[in-house]
Amino acid sequence: MSNLKSVKVCFYYSSLAVSYCPQNDFNGLTPYEKKKYVWKMLYIYMLGYDVDFGHMEAVSLISAPKYPEKQVGYIVTSCLLNENHDFLRLAINTVRNDIIGRNETFQCLALTMVGNIGGREFAESLAPDVQKLLISSSCRPLVRKKAALCLLRLYRKNPDVVNVDGWADRMAQLMDERDLGVLTSSMSLLVALVSNNHEAYWSCLPKCVKVLERLARNQDVPQEYTYYGIPSPWLQVKTMRALQYFPTIEDPNTRRSLFEVLQRILMGTDVVKNVNKNNASHAVLFEALALVMHLDAEKEMMSQCVALLGKFIAVREPNIRYLGLENMTRMLMVTDVQDIIKRHQSQIITSLKDPDISIRRRALDLLYGMCDVSNAKDIVEELLQYLSTAEFAMREELSLKAAILAEKFAPDLSWYVDVILQLIDKAGDFVSDDIWFRVVQFVTNNEDLQPYAAAKAREYLDKPAIHETMVKVSAYILGEFGHLLARRPGCSPKELFSIIHEKLPSISTSSIPILLSTYAKILMHTQPPDPELQNQIWAIFNKYGSCIDVEIQQRAIEYFALSSKGAALMDILAEMPKFPERQV
Amino acid sequence: MIRFILLQNRQGKTRLAKYYVPLEDSEKHKVEYEVHRLVVNRDPKFTNFVEFRTHKIIYRRYAGLFFSLCVDITDNELAYLECIHLFVEILDHFFSNVCELDLVFNFHKVYLILDEFILAGELQETSKRAIIERMGELEKLE
Repeated sequence: MSNLKSVKVCFYYSSLAVSYCPQNDFNGLTPYEKKKYVWKMLYIYMLGYDVDFGHMEAVSLISAPKYPEKQVGYIVTSCLLNENHDFLRLAINTVRNDIIGRNETFQCLALTMVGNIGGREFAESLAPDVQKLLISSSCRPLVRKKAALCLLRLYRKNPDVVNVDGWADRMAQLMDERDLGVLTSSMSLLVALVSNNHEAYWSCLPKCVKVLERLARNQDVPQEYTYYGIPSPWLQVKTMRALQYFPTIEDPNTRRSLFEVLQRILMGTDVVKNVNKNNASHAVLFEALALVMHLDAEKEMMSQCVALLGKFIAVREPNIRYLGLENMTRMLMVTDVQDIIKRHQSQIITSLKDPDISIRRRALDLLYGMCDVSNAKDIVEELLQYLSTAEFAMREELSLKAAILAEKFAPDLSWYVDVILQLIDKAGDFVSDDIWFRVVQFVTNNEDLQPYAAAKAREYLDKPAIHETMVKVSAYILGEFGHLLARRPGCSPKELFSIIHEKLPSISTSSIPILLSTYAKILMHTQPPDPELQNQIWAIFNKYGSCIDVEIQQRAIEYFALSSKGAALMDILAEMPKFPERQV
Repeated sequence: MIRFILLQNRQGKTRLAKYYVPLEDSEKHKVEYEVHRLVVNRDPKFTNFVEFRTHKIIYRRYAGLFFSLCVDITDNELAYLECIHLFVEILDHFFSNVCELDLVFNFHKVYLILDEFILAGELQETSKRAIIERMGELEKLE
């Protein structure tokens, strides 16, 4: 491998590495040279260069008779190709021969490649053979753990390849496995199987609890599987994950044993100095929390969990804080702990302003989930405040969530209108049309709200630079209800018209129709008619009567014609009727 | 499950890339670029977890190298974080005080080690001893 440097240099100076080793001579190379060529190809590929040669060579090495070449073939193929490459299928027969053959090393190579990149065709041809290896007592743990994960992949590609009848018992037997490598791999397989069909694998439930007990008591756990003093934290986590796919635990003894283990984990996980030990023990703790939530344990245990989470969201260590927020959000969905969680509201709001975006996202999700009528005002106001400084990645989500919360939990409708208008003001780009349509619907359906909304819209129009959506909303509202404000300063029809018209140059063509409708409505509501205003607006209608945009042209011409009719206009442009209530 | 594993240096060069989901080459390049940008700009005081598309990246920096795992949203973050550390410990043991150059000049061995550690996007073996022993067996066959 010492001439890797020369490969790089060679690549920079020649247009393609193909010139380094001619393809047509590949079969004439010695095995060692073939190996070198293919490894170098992988190196170039890894650096990010396009490698459109050499795939066939790599695949052909899979059929090599000797281990060194075969190894390269298998490994490079799994890096360069994937299940969507057609000619990977060419290798299926060779791969199958390696799997069912006597050579253990070849078996491992084959199982590994299939486990990493095998697709549906591999699943159908190979699953039975792989299953045999997994349960074969003559195979070393080395082979069996690869068989377990290879089978997992095949199952994910085609669930039908694992015939449940009979296999459930085998899985239960596998749970008694002593070798922890095999057990770890088999547990991943079990998680996938149970997640699709927990009834078939119910016999594995008590076994899983036994595994957990074995680990928790550090029974029969070789030193090599202990990580900073913790018996295989990964296996503990996987086992608890498997248990979360069983809806209930019927047997009282099993249930009791499990709760004992969980209780010990909840109460016995201390914060230690060693970062890795701390992370590992807390990985187990958080999974235990998830399992407890799933089992919907007694109230006491649940409150222990919430208390723990309350502690976590305030610690300095960011990872734990993140996980505290995330798990608290999950907790909202499973059980009735809203009140307890609300006690931590101020801490959560502080997290909304954390410098780390990952934490801010968790805090937002949690606030959204814990919002109800009692705290909606506070929470939505915090969200709006945050919106002013939030980066673009978060604004759309923030706006949508704020709008939904405002609608669901508004203490009164005028507050809701305020919130939406503020949203449009601060993050207009991210406020979809649906949101401002909703506001208009509400205002239309609630007479008391109309003057308030109109006044607010008028206020916003005074701002020097406003978002196009704000122009649309304000124009619509003032068109419909502006006349209710006629007596107020700055709200005469003429003043309303001129301040709206000021914004016309700044908006896009698609919004102009709305403004034209507004002008027509203002004109209609101006009784007695104001000739000067009439002339101004008619001039605009005339101007747009020859606009190239069909919608604009049509409206301009028709409004002009209608408004010349005088009193009859009142009926045609009467106030919009109430919108039908949305079916829930 | 683990969707992919990336080892990248500060400049964004990929020292190891293993994908457990099928991605075209152009997609892989895009992913590697985006992940690098994402992790290299994060403050060391921040969490080791960051959302990436509809998944999560669990990452940690060791000297000049970023180790990133892309996992599902519902996966146990701390468990994978320590999975990264275990991998580093294995590499450290195998190469006796590993550095980036070791990984560059022996990338073929790193792939071998990785294939003993993770398979089908899941943890295969968590005993450092078992993996190092296996590597010893394989060296004899070369």
